[in-house]
Amino acid sequence: MLASFDTHLFWVALSSGPYWRGALLALEVTAASLTTAIIIGFFVALGALSPRRGIRSVSWVYNWLFRATPTLLQLFFIWYALPQLWTGFAQSWFTPFMAAWIALSLNEGAYMSEIIRAGLLSVDPGQELAGRALGLSRRRILQRIVVPQAIRIAIPPTGNEFITLLKLTSLASIISLHEILTASQELAVVKFQYPEPLLAALLYYLAIVSVLMVLQSRLERRFTFTSARRRRPSATAAAVPAVSHDAR
Amino acid sequence: MSILRADNVHKRYDELEVLRGVTFEVEPGQVKVIIGPSGSGKSTLLRCLALLEETDGGEITLEGKRPGPGEVGMVFQRFNLFQNMTALENVMCGLVEVRRQSKQDARKAALEFLDRVGLADKAPQYPDELSGGQQQRVAIARALVMRPKAMLFDEPTSALDVELVREVLDVMEALAREGMTMVVVSHELRFAHHVASTVLMMDEGRIVEESPPAEFFSAPKEERTKRFLSLVE
Repeated sequence: MLASFDTHLFWVALSSGPYWRGALLALEVTAASLTTAIIIGFFVALGALSPRRGIRSVSWVYNWLFRATPTLLQLFFIWYALPQLWTGFAQSWFTPFMAAWIALSLNEGAYMSEIIRAGLLSVDPGQELAGRALGLSRRRILQRIVVPQAIRIAIPPTGNEFITLLKLTSLASIISLHEILTASQELAVVKFQYPEPLLAALLYYLAIVSVLMVLQSRLERRFTFTSARRRRPSATAAAVPAVSHDAR
Repeated sequence: MSILRADNVHKRYDELEVLRGVTFEVEPGQVKVIIGPSGSGKSTLLRCLALLEETDGGEITLEGKRPGPGEVGMVFQRFNLFQNMTALENVMCGLVEVRRQSKQDARKAALEFLDRVGLADKAPQYPDELSGGQQQRVAIARALVMRPKAMLFDEPTSALDVELVREVLDVMEALAREGMTMVVVSHELRFAHHVASTVLMMDEGRIVEESPPAEFFSAPKEERTKRFLSLVE
């Protein structure tokens, strides 16, 4: 059964430079794209909630455009078509990394805007009213009251998006971004042996996602508004479910 | 000499005319209690007084001018505490963000006002961890710390369990005794009896009747008031 499993090759794969660099690159693209997507998503979400109809439709068109078309096609468009349309993109700065960053940010921005919109809407409008009664500006109310609470709601789905994005970076292997999949394929082709290189690639993804999940639960705790969090940090594991994801 | 004044205030939402020319005034230290059926415009009137709604006609003045931020305090039916802040931070918020006080000064003042509503020991607690009555008292402290010239209460006890109503009314009564100018929308008729300078009856966007509580409850003039009182009592 496992007769052909070459443990040595597996270790070689796991510790090889291309794997490490590939993993690092995938993480960089993911982190950069998600960060940009959160910024885009925040403004698209504000636009979607705007009382002005023109602004709402801009947000609507953005979401429609980037959710209705395949991510791979968007990536191809930005990598191959953009430089032909616009010479500014036919320069040396436009690397596969940049292309993946731009494509994934724009794409993910649409999904993040929906998550952020749901987060903003989850905050009881009575709090905004109370803020205005005290004389706070709308901007202050957003900053100090609405956004911190929206973050708590948005963290779990954003964690999901991080994982989705991380896996989407493997698409960028097609535009010659040397991420983990590229590393494993190159190794497999050379050795003509697939199980070890691919298994090693799987483990890299599992490791990255596991670390992410730990970070996520810490972040959730940071945005859970009970005093227990401060007094007894050890008891928070029990305290978090009480504020419950099921409330969604 | 009135301090807070509504002059011929109109308010409509699309087709619905919620306030049809409301004129009334409150003198310093007076407590006015407004009663009336739901949809009569009581809450809308308070929101206009607090400048939370733009009026479609008429004028709101505080000491002859448009009220400034925090000058008219508002307490809501559902408390509306900031859920991401402790009781102390809720009370500090207006001083820091609106009055631009230092955190130290704001903290000191906030603790003093939490103490006034009997909740100094709850300062580090989040709203989720407080009872409804405690949350409403924090909300009162949050408005009071801005040193408002008048306080508005929009059904402050109707979201509370019966056993928690008293603690909130006690705070309000103490406030009235200290000479705070107050406008209270409430169906706590005992409170109106004891504390109100005058009681107002609102119906269909108008003030139907206004008189001192003794007169209002024992000898209402308007048919509408009689019918309403018979339903409430």
